[in-house]
Amino acid sequence: MSNAVVRKTLVSLAIAGAVTTAQADVVIGVAGPHTGAYAAFGAQLWNGASAAAKAINDAGGINGEMIKLIKADDACEPKQAVSVANRLVDSDEAVAVVGHFCSSSSIPASNIYEEAGVLQVTPASTAPGLTDRGLPNVFRVCGRDDQQGDVAATYIVDVLGAKKVAVIHDKDTYGKGLADAMKSSLNAYGVKEVLYEGLTRGEKDFNALVTKIRSVDADVVYFGGLHSEAGPLVRQMREQGLTAKFMSGDGITSYEFVSVAGSPKYVDGVLMTFGADPTSYAEGKAVVKEFRDSGIEPEGYVMYSYAAMQVVAEALQNTDLDPVKASDWLHANKVETVMGTKAFDEKGDLLVSDYVMYEWDKNGTYNMLGM
Amino acid sequence: MDIILQQLVNGLSLGSVYGLIAIGYTMVYGIIGMINFAHGDVYMVSAYITAVAIALLSFFGIESFPVIIFGTLIFTIFVTGVYGWVIERIAYRPLRGSSRLSILISAIGMSLILQNYVQLSQGAKQQGVPTLLSGAIRFDIGDGFVQITYMKLFILFASFIGMAALTYIIQKTKLGRMCRATQQDPKMASILGINTDKIISTVFVIGATMAALAGVLVTLDYGGFDFYVGFIIGIKAFTAAVLGGIGSLPGAMLGGIILGLSEALFAGLVSSDYKDVFSFSLLVVILIFRPSGLLGKPEVEKV
Amino acid sequence: MSQAATGIDIKKSAIDSVLAGLIALVVFGPIVGLVLDGFAFNAEPKRLFAIVAVVMVGRFLASWFFQSTKGRDFLYKHTSKDEGVHVLAPGHKSKLKWIIPLTILIAFAVPFIASKYVLTVVILGLIYVLLGLGLNIVVGLAGLLDLGFVGFYAIGAYGLALGYEHLGLGFWSMLPIAAIVAAIFGAILGFPVLRMHGDYLAIVTLGFGEIIRLVLTNWTDLTHGPNGMNAPLPTFFGLEFKRRASEGHVPFHEFFGLSYSSAYKYIFIYLVLLLVVLGVLYVKKRLTQMPIGRAWEALREDEIACRSLGLNHVLVKLSAFMIGASTGGLAGVFFATYQGFVNPSSFTFFESALILAIVVLGGMGSTLGVVIAAFVLTVAPELLREFADYRVLAFGILMVLMMIWKPRGLVRMTRIGVSAREGNVK
Repeated sequence: MSNAVVRKTLVSLAIAGAVTTAQADVVIGVAGPHTGAYAAFGAQLWNGASAAAKAINDAGGINGEMIKLIKADDACEPKQAVSVANRLVDSDEAVAVVGHFCSSSSIPASNIYEEAGVLQVTPASTAPGLTDRGLPNVFRVCGRDDQQGDVAATYIVDVLGAKKVAVIHDKDTYGKGLADAMKSSLNAYGVKEVLYEGLTRGEKDFNALVTKIRSVDADVVYFGGLHSEAGPLVRQMREQGLTAKFMSGDGITSYEFVSVAGSPKYVDGVLMTFGADPTSYAEGKAVVKEFRDSGIEPEGYVMYSYAAMQVVAEALQNTDLDPVKASDWLHANKVETVMGTKAFDEKGDLLVSDYVMYEWDKNGTYNMLGM
Repeated sequence: MDIILQQLVNGLSLGSVYGLIAIGYTMVYGIIGMINFAHGDVYMVSAYITAVAIALLSFFGIESFPVIIFGTLIFTIFVTGVYGWVIERIAYRPLRGSSRLSILISAIGMSLILQNYVQLSQGAKQQGVPTLLSGAIRFDIGDGFVQITYMKLFILFASFIGMAALTYIIQKTKLGRMCRATQQDPKMASILGINTDKIISTVFVIGATMAALAGVLVTLDYGGFDFYVGFIIGIKAFTAAVLGGIGSLPGAMLGGIILGLSEALFAGLVSSDYKDVFSFSLLVVILIFRPSGLLGKPEVEKV
Repeated sequence: MSQAATGIDIKKSAIDSVLAGLIALVVFGPIVGLVLDGFAFNAEPKRLFAIVAVVMVGRFLASWFFQSTKGRDFLYKHTSKDEGVHVLAPGHKSKLKWIIPLTILIAFAVPFIASKYVLTVVILGLIYVLLGLGLNIVVGLAGLLDLGFVGFYAIGAYGLALGYEHLGLGFWSMLPIAAIVAAIFGAILGFPVLRMHGDYLAIVTLGFGEIIRLVLTNWTDLTHGPNGMNAPLPTFFGLEFKRRASEGHVPFHEFFGLSYSSAYKYIFIYLVLLLVVLGVLYVKKRLTQMPIGRAWEALREDEIACRSLGLNHVLVKLSAFMIGASTGGLAGVFFATYQGFVNPSSFTFFESALILAIVVLGGMGSTLGVVIAAFVLTVAPELLREFADYRVLAFGILMVLMMIWKPRGLVRMTRIGVSAREGNVK
């Protein structure tokens, strides 16, 4: 987080704190890991959502009523997610929630939102289990792990033509879900993985695993997990002289990936699947510029979070602030967002998945690859 | 063959890191009988200080590797040592003479404080240091090869030097004698004119400097770290300390290396999913047969 | 109070203050003053100097205060030790007898007056009361330091989820089964560690807790690994608390002709949990007065003496482990049903530490203390939500300060003394 972000967050916090709950406000929760090991993503969610809320309020609010955001911290722990969700629906009387970040938090929290009839739009939880349970109030503006895994598997088989694929995951809901989805797609294309192992989140020494990957002579290493483990893993692969392609999912979409790996040279050539560049949409150009002017890089989930807030606002606007009707409305209508037009299927998933392949280069930035 | 050798190298370098951190646990435990749960977080703080030191040095345009590494080592060890002193002064000294459990809870509180204070001041993101020393030695064995980075060799060398210096201090100097006396019988030691409070502070500082040494080495080797990095490595190092016999310096190093090797070999030959289960089971089995650890002195129960 | 009378040395305070400032500069300088940004850094001198100034002023005032008479009294009070069990006079009758029925009455009234959010926090508090009571038997009474108590909690919680998914058992059948299974695991853990003492025991139990969590994470065929499992809600004589009941069942609200509210299930969980907690409290109170309870405490104080007096230390230790573990298992079942979902990330080492903190903070062995501390430690993080980002930091500071303030815990263990029996021998 740069200084400007800290300052901006503090200022917006102070504003959020200073405004007392007038009954007329529309209360919307921004739930995610604002503390703990994944707080960086919580900050992305908050930056996106608060910028969107500010823009909507400046334009007159939702049906004339101002959005008031509540920062709800779950630290990516299911226990805290349940508690904070109850607090949002009960004490804060939120009508909608943007979040949570971790799938393992979104799933237990969604039960509470469903009971209370609160609209939940997550910008980041990609586990299929979230929407597969058929809750009417749950939506996501990101893709699903199985869609993402399929894009990765197709690329491995068709473009890379790899025969020996090692699949590594971080034993967490997101990482393992993604790795499993990729693996089953891969198997469907007739390629059997040569290695399937989990590593422990929070550790930094994966040398033993890397040597094992070397011993099976893999051409491609697919990792389901976050950049905090992907960085050391790819670095230790290169240090042990392993030249296999490294591929991962949207969990490594952060420029911190480069600093964790220690040098741009280690991430050179790393492939990842991610939604089509969220900053590339024509609709979002102005917003992207605004973010950059205020010193925030709209990386990772910032734009997703912005779009999620727009979806919430649009739905509430059209249903006179009734969150239950808003859920029905979203199943039937399209929403214009900074990431293009979004439409949802009956489960609450996006109708069109927009996953594409990116490649990191030797300058430590990522670029979309033409398929 | 080459794979096994490579795994041995992996285990050895991981184990020497565990050993260095385990020293902090073992010394503090030996002297006041407390498990210093904040020790892993002292290591974490030292990783941040390492990164700050490297950033500062490169800001002043210093490029040469030896200068950077020595500057960083001295700076980090000094600042982390002060951290060790301050933590003891604030969270443990007021509890001197209370039950060991109260100090344990205070230590857990301290660990939370350190993690969150670092997160709040440095931002909740992944950090990294630039790669200073790259390149590796490669041995070709048959069809395969074993590759050891220069950084790994440096870790083994530096931890050996650190251990040797510490052993010298504890065994040969007056300070070391006072430490050992306080460890054996604090009351008697204070009667004989040893300022036990000061010795305990010194032990905390020594423990912190060893954690700082590990912090510099590991941070330079792995590159990435965050404010949460002390937790797992702290638990592993504590396990290593107990495995080797808590209170014993060579035991801490031996325990670290056994733990590192067992993790690397189990992950390499069986499954990395269950490597921690294997490590903890190994610990339980060793403690069943040697209840005081490998090199620990058996407890003599007096009535 | 005049300065001359108390002999305050301003110069000493000033030196203390400057020294503290220098140390603060070294400690906070690199972390607070220089913020890493990629491989470079940004300087933040303002907040660094603010912190250093706060430390200097604080140290100066503290130094001043401790030189005054009041300060010395304060220091003296906090260095004096008050160890051991507090023994009351024989025949002591508490003046606060009416407090217990009143508390129970209020406890039963809570769900009908509190909001749903408050109710969920109170449920969590009660779950921690159960956990604290369980660990209190092991640590507080029997003196066996257990850092892996979360393992039994996990066994209870996963017991409910696994029993529901694989055996089709509901809340009511799993409640006793989970307690028994947890007790069996308590015995399994108990056997190998009988020979170990103090901190070796601590690390082995820590390892046990971690092993349970790692197995739950990795055994995906059984537990779905990190994805977690769904846990069923309790039923009220076969009536379900869902909006739409599963086939062949009637929802609670339809049966009684009420409109649906998600609060009913929490009220029901709360009431059941409250009854269980009261039951455990009663059993524990009886146990501590029975020979087995006395034996636990005797073993804590001096194992060798106990053994030489013919006490079967194996049985005593195992019983403590098993009873403690089964209480933890009960708490796990309630946790799973309350959350409706379990996954391994709820059972980390930090949870064990929190439960241990409840026992130590409450006052080892003291039941009342455990109840208070459980609420303090579960409600505090919720109250501290107002501090937003500073929440966990404040929680840590609170833990350290409370230990310094009351190292023996909030409530000391008390015992009513016995006097020699009166009357003549005929």
